Amino acid sequence: MFQPFTEEPIRLIDEKGNWIGDFELDLSEDALLTLYRNMVAGRLLDERYIVLLRTGKTSFVAPAAGHEAAQVGMAAAIRPGFDWVFPYYRDKTLLLSLGYPAEQLFAQMAGTVLDPNKGRQMPEHPGHKDLNVFTVASPIASHVVPAVGAALSMKFQGTGQVVLTTFGDGATSEGDWHAGLNFAGVQGAPIVFAAENNRYAISVDFSKQSASARIADKAHAYGMPGYVVDGMDVLASYYVMREAVSRAREGLGPALVELLVYRYGPHSSADDDSVYRPKEEVEAWKKKDPITRFERFLEKRKLWTPEFGEQVRDEERKKLEAAEEKALSAQAVPPEWMFDDVYAERPWHLEEQKRILLEEL
Amino acid sequence: MATMTIVQAVKRALDEEMARDERVVVLGEDVGKRGGVFLATEGLYQKYGPDRVIDTPLSEAAIIGAAVGMAVHGLRPVAEIQFADYVFPGFDQLVSQAAKIRYRSGGQFQAPMVVRMPSGGGVKGGHHHSQSPETHFAHTAGLKVVVPSTPYDALGLLKTAIRDDDPVVFMEPKRLYRSIKEEVPDEEYTLPFGEAAIRRAGSDLTMITYGGPTVESLKAAEELEKVGVQAEVIDLRTLVPWDKETVLNSVAKTGRALVIAEAPRMASFASEVAATIAEELLDQLLAPPIRVTGFDTPYPYIPDRLYMPTVTRILNAAKKALEY
Ligand SMILES: Cc1ncc(C[n+]2csc(CCOP(=O)(O)OP(=O)(O)O)c2C)c(N)n1
Repeated sequence: MFQPFTEEPIRLIDEKGNWIGDFELDLSEDALLTLYRNMVAGRLLDERYIVLLRTGKTSFVAPAAGHEAAQVGMAAAIRPGFDWVFPYYRDKTLLLSLGYPAEQLFAQMAGTVLDPNKGRQMPEHPGHKDLNVFTVASPIASHVVPAVGAALSMKFQGTGQVVLTTFGDGATSEGDWHAGLNFAGVQGAPIVFAAENNRYAISVDFSKQSASARIADKAHAYGMPGYVVDGMDVLASYYVMREAVSRAREGLGPALVELLVYRYGPHSSADDDSVYRPKEEVEAWKKKDPITRFERFLEKRKLWTPEFGEQVRDEERKKLEAAEEKALSAQAVPPEWMFDDVYAERPWHLEEQKRILLEEL
Repeated sequence: MATMTIVQAVKRALDEEMARDERVVVLGEDVGKRGGVFLATEGLYQKYGPDRVIDTPLSEAAIIGAAVGMAVHGLRPVAEIQFADYVFPGFDQLVSQAAKIRYRSGGQFQAPMVVRMPSGGGVKGGHHHSQSPETHFAHTAGLKVVVPSTPYDALGLLKTAIRDDDPVVFMEPKRLYRSIKEEVPDEEYTLPFGEAAIRRAGSDLTMITYGGPTVESLKAAEELEKVGVQAEVIDLRTLVPWDKETVLNSVAKTGRALVIAEAPRMASFASEVAATIAEELLDQLLAPPIRVTGFDTPYPYIPDRLYMPTVTRILNAAKKALEY
């Protein structure tokens, strides 16, 4: 049982890789290595996206390096394909860890027909019905209230499912965010709100976003526990999320989990972060890298060597390369697809407009 | 004369107005140190400080709602919404508060404020970075709506907007932000609302447009010239109020009207203009007014440019009007 509203973030691995939890670690070696592999894969995916951008295969990237431990920990805490996830645009590692096929993620980035969302949205906006991953929307925090609604449906229908929704620190300033937490609190909805607090909303640092010391503190006001976690610690992220998810599943209501992370890259491929934060700050955070920290932990348990790390990276890189190849060699989404899915059936005015487009193609 | 882009013109207008009138303040997401994500407020934070250039929390309701409060209390706020697509969390403040406070209070209170927003597509931004939501604002009594398409106009109209005593929605076609450069006088000037610009004179066909598609309309007019058709191109510049007189005079002369806009067609501003032409000029028309607009779908990521009126689509419509 973790304490909510702690002053210091909950941490289970120290920076040297020592286990500092006050309970018995109950994960198998395989499970630990899966956490590791997923973080490595997420980091590589992020790097591949940047290559896609440089080679003109995509038009936008939201770098997520630094968020891996938080995202891998959350993914491991829910039941993929059973529980529902309402993510935001910086969650590639979460989605990959949930089993979102990498070729479909790449297809979304490039707008090819393998994207189940049919190329409708800008890059970094995936979604997958089969995996219960609600398609990402750009307007910040707009998905938080629908996430609560889905959780209420689960509660009213007694399905035993739970919702996980994620967002950045900036999102906590939007009215929709507060509306969602309030409603979930009142109804005891089975949902976990996960804040990936990377300290910046584009250039705006957290002190200008909120006068609260912690995002987790805001949970108080909505009648739910708020946990603050070291989000560079994959085991802390996993265990706290696991507890929050099982509370929700047992009918004890929602929780807010604040995961303290850092984004190493700029906000997006359109951003220049040197204008608003010093390089030294970024470098200092990179020294706390979640993957390196977990490698130290695994090494102490004789589960990791540098050679093994290299091997994992190679294997994951090959998988991603194959997925990318498949996604990018697929056909580009045809322009006339734009007239599908506006409504369940296409009304006459869209038939007319489709003809106007076809005339000019 | 200095050559500048639209984004530079916006920045200069803000700077001049802030220097002229200390009641003018700028607020929005990332407008401070970052200078705005399109750099339209670059340097203002350093020059005027954090009390006049305010980095707000990420809440459009806070930005627009606070602007209303500042305005009724005597400031002249210029709010930046990072993309027009993100105005909706603040829409209630705009529609219920900003637009109605003068009327609701019998003229006792007024909200002289500007809400700037980059709008329109062509930047591969998918639906949430590409929309042209001007119709919502034009449809809301109490809001003025301005959509410049050149640096000269952006500068003169933004200054007018800041001095105006009503809330003004100022929409900046983001795909033109840096693509058009133009000489702008060094001396100060403002431009009046409600006066369209005739971008090109012609006698056979009138194209009425505003914002982004002004560019495609002018290209289409050039193509038409090659086949001996003289198109007149009118850039409305302001939608509320709009320059009915210039439009009707032109269409009375040419007998043919294309209304060209990027926003979806259904119940749109283009429809308003087309309906007015039909209502007032029926007996002088050689062809029905034709709308060339964005499609009635959400703005797709793929295809990006084909969503908006293309030169080909404008030419197809022109052909229809000419052969009617
Ligand atoms: C409603 C809305 N307003 C503004 C934006 C523009 N915008 C995109 S990301 C962003 C910052 C988000 O910061 P945060 O929530 O902390 O998440 P992070 O990107 O840091 O992961 C902003 C202002 C938006 N997408 N939606």
